[in-house]
Amino acid sequence: MDLLSDLWLGATTAFLPINLVYCFIGCLLGTAIGVLPGLGPTATIAMLLPITFGLPAESALIMLAGIFYGAQYGGSTTAILINLPGESSSVVTAIDGYQMARNGRAGAALATAALGSFFAGTVATVLLAAAAPPLAAIALKFGPAEYFSLMVLGLVASVALASGSLLKAIAMIVFGLLLGSIGTDVESGTPRYVFDVPQLYDGLNFVAVSMGIFGICEILRNLESEHERSVGVKKVTGLMLNRDDFRRIRGPVLRGTALGSLLGVLPGGGAMLASFAAYAMEKRMSPNRAEFGKGAIEGVAAPESANNAGAQTSFIPMLTLGIPGNPVMALMVGAMIIQGITPGPNVISDEPAMFWGMIVSMWSGNLMLVILNLPLIGLWVRMLTIPYHLLFPAIIGFCCIGAYSINNSVFDVFIMAIFSVIGFALSKLRFEPAPLLLGFILGPMLEENLRRAMLISQGDPSIFVRSPLSLSLLLGAIVVLVLVLSPSISRKRDEAFTE
Amino acid sequence: MRMKRFFTLAAFAASILAATSHAGRADEYPSKSVTVIVPFAAGGNTDALGRLVAEELDKRLGQRFIVENKPGAGGNIGLGDLARAEPDGYTIGMGTVSSNAINQTLYKTLPYDKEKGFVPLSLIATMPNVLVVNADKLPVNSVQELIELLKKEPGKHTYASSGVGTSIHLAGELLANKAGVTMTHVPYKGSSQAIMDVVAGHVDFMFDNIPTAAQQVKAGKLRALAVTSLDQASLLPDVPTMASVIPEFEATSWHGIFAPPGTPPEIVDKLSKEVQAILHDPAMKAKIEGMGATPVGNTSEEFAQFIDGETAKWAEVIKAANLPLQ
Repeated sequence: MDLLSDLWLGATTAFLPINLVYCFIGCLLGTAIGVLPGLGPTATIAMLLPITFGLPAESALIMLAGIFYGAQYGGSTTAILINLPGESSSVVTAIDGYQMARNGRAGAALATAALGSFFAGTVATVLLAAAAPPLAAIALKFGPAEYFSLMVLGLVASVALASGSLLKAIAMIVFGLLLGSIGTDVESGTPRYVFDVPQLYDGLNFVAVSMGIFGICEILRNLESEHERSVGVKKVTGLMLNRDDFRRIRGPVLRGTALGSLLGVLPGGGAMLASFAAYAMEKRMSPNRAEFGKGAIEGVAAPESANNAGAQTSFIPMLTLGIPGNPVMALMVGAMIIQGITPGPNVISDEPAMFWGMIVSMWSGNLMLVILNLPLIGLWVRMLTIPYHLLFPAIIGFCCIGAYSINNSVFDVFIMAIFSVIGFALSKLRFEPAPLLLGFILGPMLEENLRRAMLISQGDPSIFVRSPLSLSLLLGAIVVLVLVLSPSISRKRDEAFTE
Repeated sequence: MRMKRFFTLAAFAASILAATSHAGRADEYPSKSVTVIVPFAAGGNTDALGRLVAEELDKRLGQRFIVENKPGAGGNIGLGDLARAEPDGYTIGMGTVSSNAINQTLYKTLPYDKEKGFVPLSLIATMPNVLVVNADKLPVNSVQELIELLKKEPGKHTYASSGVGTSIHLAGELLANKAGVTMTHVPYKGSSQAIMDVVAGHVDFMFDNIPTAAQQVKAGKLRALAVTSLDQASLLPDVPTMASVIPEFEATSWHGIFAPPGTPPEIVDKLSKEVQAILHDPAMKAKIEGMGATPVGNTSEEFAQFIDGETAKWAEVIKAANLPLQ
C-alpha cells in the first residue's frame, strides 16, 4: 500500500517531538488569534514569517498551517459568545450560535463547534491524503464561467439565510452587492465610488465591515437595553451535549463536512461559500427548520464542520498545483520559497517528507485543538458572567486593534465605526446583516467572473451553458429559486421572527 | 552573544551622543530604530526582499530596522506615508516598478508630490518575467510562432495578467506595441488565479514571475517561450530572451529602497553604501537568486537614472495602450 507507506513517512516527520511542539504552538496561537476579534491568520502568519526563516522547512510549514486551521476553530468562539465573527466563515455561525448563547446554551454551542470541526478536519485530512491530485483536477475544471454559475447558485441560496421578510433579505443582498462594487474595477482598472480616497481603491475591508455590523452593533443594542441587561443571557445550563443534541447534529455535521470538503478545493472563494452553503442547506432540510435563527444547534454544527473541512482541503490546490487559493496560502507559498522549496506540481514527489508530514500534522493538530478547546469551554462561558460594563470596553478595544492591524491603517477603524452605526440602524428597521455580508463577499466575485468569462468567449453568452458543469450549477440555482419562492408565496413566510 | 552586547552598548552610547549633541548627523546615524515601510502586503516579493535587507541593516548598523506593511492602492498608500515622514533617515521604504515608475503615469492623482518624488537609495533586485503558453491550446514553440499566430488571428487569443497596469500586464502591452499584434487582455486579482487559468487552458498565455511559472514549466504543464530580461535567467537556462526576437524588449519587475524627499545627503550616502555592501555579499546574493531574482545594489545616482528610463518607457506603453487613468 503506497498510501500507508506515505502516511508512515508523514507520521515519522509529524511526530518528531520538535514538530509536535511547533504544531502545538501553531494551534495555540491560531486559537488565540481566532478568539481575538479582527486578528486574522493572514496578519499573524505575515508577522511570524521572518521567525520561520531559521526553522527547518517542515517545522515552519507545520506551525503556519496550525495557525491557519487553529484560527478557524477559534473564530467561532467570539461569534457564539458575543456575536462577533472574526472571519468570513463564522458569520453564519453567529446567527444561531449567538442565539444559543442567549438561551443559556453557550457551552453546547461551543462543544458542537469543536466536535464538528474535529470530525470534519479528520475526514478532510484523509481526503487530502487519498485524493488530492484528482480533487485538484476538479479545481482546474472551474474556469470563470463555472465560478460565475457557482456564485449565482450561492447568491440564490443565500436568500434562505434570512429568517424574516424575503423582500428585506433581497434588499440586504443588493445593498451588499453595491458595497462590494466599491474600489478599483478589476476588468478596466477604473476606480468606482472611491471619491479620490486612496484607501478605498482596494474596496471596503470585510473584517472591518463585519466587526462593525455584527460586534460593535451588538454592543450598542445591549447598552440600549441597559435596564434588562443580563445581556438577555439565561443561566447557563450544561456545558456538554446531551444525547438528543448528538442525534440532531449527526446529519448536519456529515453534510457540512461533505460540502465543505468539495467547495474548499476551489481556490476562487469556494471555502468562503462552504459555511454559507452548509447553513442554507440545513435550513432547507432540517426537521427543526422552524428553530433556525432562534438557536438551532444544526445551525452551528453544519457551517462549523463545513468551514473546517474547507480549511483543510483548501491546501489541495497549493500543495498539488503550487497555486495558492487564498491569502493565507499565498503566505505559505512565500514561506516555502524562502525555505528553498518552490511549490508546484512536482512538490509531492520532490519533497515527500514535507508534504506527508504536513498532512499528518493536520490531523494531530486537529486532535490537539479539540483537546485544547473542550476544557476551555467552561472558561469561555464564564466570560459571559463578567459584568457587561467591564466586558464591552474590552471588546471595543480588541476590535479597534484588530481593525487597525488589517492594513496598519486607522482608516479601517473608521470603516468599522461607520458600519456599526449602519448596522444599528438596520437592526432597528429589522433588516438582517447576514445576507448583506454574503452579497458583499459574492458580488465582486460574481461580477469579476461574469465579465472574465465574457472576455474569454469574445462576448458570446452561450459559454455559461456550453460547459456541463456551469449548466448544472445554473439549473441548480433555478431549482433552489423555485424552492425558496414557493413556500413564501403560499405561507407568506413566518413573519413572527422577533428579537 | 558578545557581539549583541557590544551592539547594545554601542547603541546606548549612540543614544547618549544623540541626546547631548545635535541629532541627525551621519556619523551618529542611526541612534534609534528605523521604520522600513513596505507598501505591499506581507508575504510578497517586495516584502521578502525588504525583510532580508532590513535584517542585514539591523546587524550592520546596530539598530532595529522594523518592517511595516502599508498595503493599498497599488503601493500609493505606503508611499504617501513615506513622503509625509520626517526626512531624517528614520523612515525609509521599499518601492517597485509599479509604485515608482508605472503609477506615475497610471494614476491621475497620487497621495504625494510627483515632482519631488523620493530619494533613491539603491536598486535591490530585478525579477524577470517569463512568457508561458498553454501548450495544448496554442501550438507554438517560439515567440516568432506566437507573433505569426496573433497576426493571423488578431484579437482571438487571450492573455492573463495580475491586474490592469501591473508589470505583468504591461509586458503584454509592450509585446502588442512592439510586435504590432492584438490580443485580448484578461485581468485577474493577483497572478496565482491567473496562472491557474492558463494551466487549466481557460486562457491561452501570460507573462508571469519566474519562480512560480518555472515549476509549471518543469512539470510540463506550460511551455516557456522567452524571458523578459536582457540576460537569460538562471532558473530557466534553456529559455531565450524576448530581446533576441524583439530588440531591446525588457520588462522586469524591480524592487528598490527609497528615502523621503529632503533626507540629508550624508544619511542617504551612508544607507546607500550599506545596502550596496549587503547586496554584494555572496550569501545574500545566493538567497536573492534563489527567489528567482537578480541582485543589483547600485548607487543612488545610477538608481535615479534607471527609474527615469523606466518611467519614460512605461509612460509610452500606457499611452499607446490607451489605458484609463485611475
